Amino acid sequence: MRKLYVISAVFFAVLGIVFTILPLGTIAFLPIGITLILSFLAIYKSKFNQQKLPKIILFISVLTFLVVIGKVIFVRDIVASDKLFEQNKVESKKEDIKDLEGL
Amino acid sequence: MKKIAFIICFIFTFGFGFSQIKSNEKLVYAASYNMSGLMTQLAQVTMNTETIKTSKKTFLHLSWEAATFSKWDNYFKIRDMYETYVDPVTLKPSLYKRDIYEGGYTKTEKYIFSANGNSINSTTKKRNRPETKKAFAVSSSTRDIISMIYKLRTINFSQYKPGQSASFIIVFDEKEYPVYVKYMGVETISAGPLGKKQCLKLSVTAKTDKLKGKDKNLIWITADASRVPVLIRFSIPVGTGQLMLSNASGI
Repeated sequence: MRKLYVISAVFFAVLGIVFTILPLGTIAFLPIGITLILSFLAIYKSKFNQQKLPKIILFISVLTFLVVIGKVIFVRDIVASDKLFEQNKVESKKEDIKDLEGL
Repeated sequence: MKKIAFIICFIFTFGFGFSQIKSNEKLVYAASYNMSGLMTQLAQVTMNTETIKTSKKTFLHLSWEAATFSKWDNYFKIRDMYETYVDPVTLKPSLYKRDIYEGGYTKTEKYIFSANGNSINSTTKKRNRPETKKAFAVSSSTRDIISMIYKLRTINFSQYKPGQSASFIIVFDEKEYPVYVKYMGVETISAGPLGKKQCLKLSVTAKTDKLKGKDKNLIWITADASRVPVLIRFSIPVGTGQLMLSNASGI
């Protein structure tokens, strides 16, 4: 059982890291939350000299949790300035006016 | 991609009510998608109106622009532009254009409506394919999706009974689609920068597989004279999402 908890915790910890890096926002809490639970269970089921890996996983999940919280609070949703897009809009409008003159 | 474009645009079609469309109106929305039960903000949607004068006529330029937030640009960049030039009074379209970029997929479309509105000359170009031109007949009441959005805003839904529907025909991807908008009553909801507002609740259905569920594609528009769409919820085959008003000016 302990092995299952550890392997699952590692899997979800990796998933949590990926979700934290990707701009998925609070969705990352799902794998992180599962990792937290699994790592606690793994620690509980481990003998004292077997607790190192579950503790590392627990530390990673807490870290990713804090990173996600930080991103949610401090990273603003903004649209990057896109010069090509803006230029296309201006050119498109000129073309449109030509078409409209012909109607 | 085509589906996404249609759905985003389609959803936007139905948030509007009884008012005169003003020039220089700007409505900004935050578009979110439901991922595993949590709403994640993906893009910003902006709707603009502007008066355009030619030597013969005055048009109202209605545009709809969608752009992913910068954090998403590296993964799935969207830069969509939908625009139409309409008669300022009747909102009948003369020229409709669509220029989309969705994660590398591109498509441009231009429809020129005939004076009587019975036919369309279209010019289409998809990613790597050559440009195609086509002329096809449409119903005289057929509109493009953007002018449809604004036309809907001019409908006096307050005269409707809950359950009563308005019907429209839109043209999209060179096909006509019948669309029904059901008035569901009045609700008070949070309207972002406008505060709490009494809104008309509308349900949209269309004869297409692009929208899912009964009364799951909903729009709330303010019950005041400006008829601003403040919240749009949609259900599509790949999930659900919403557009929430985040900024409004010129209303």
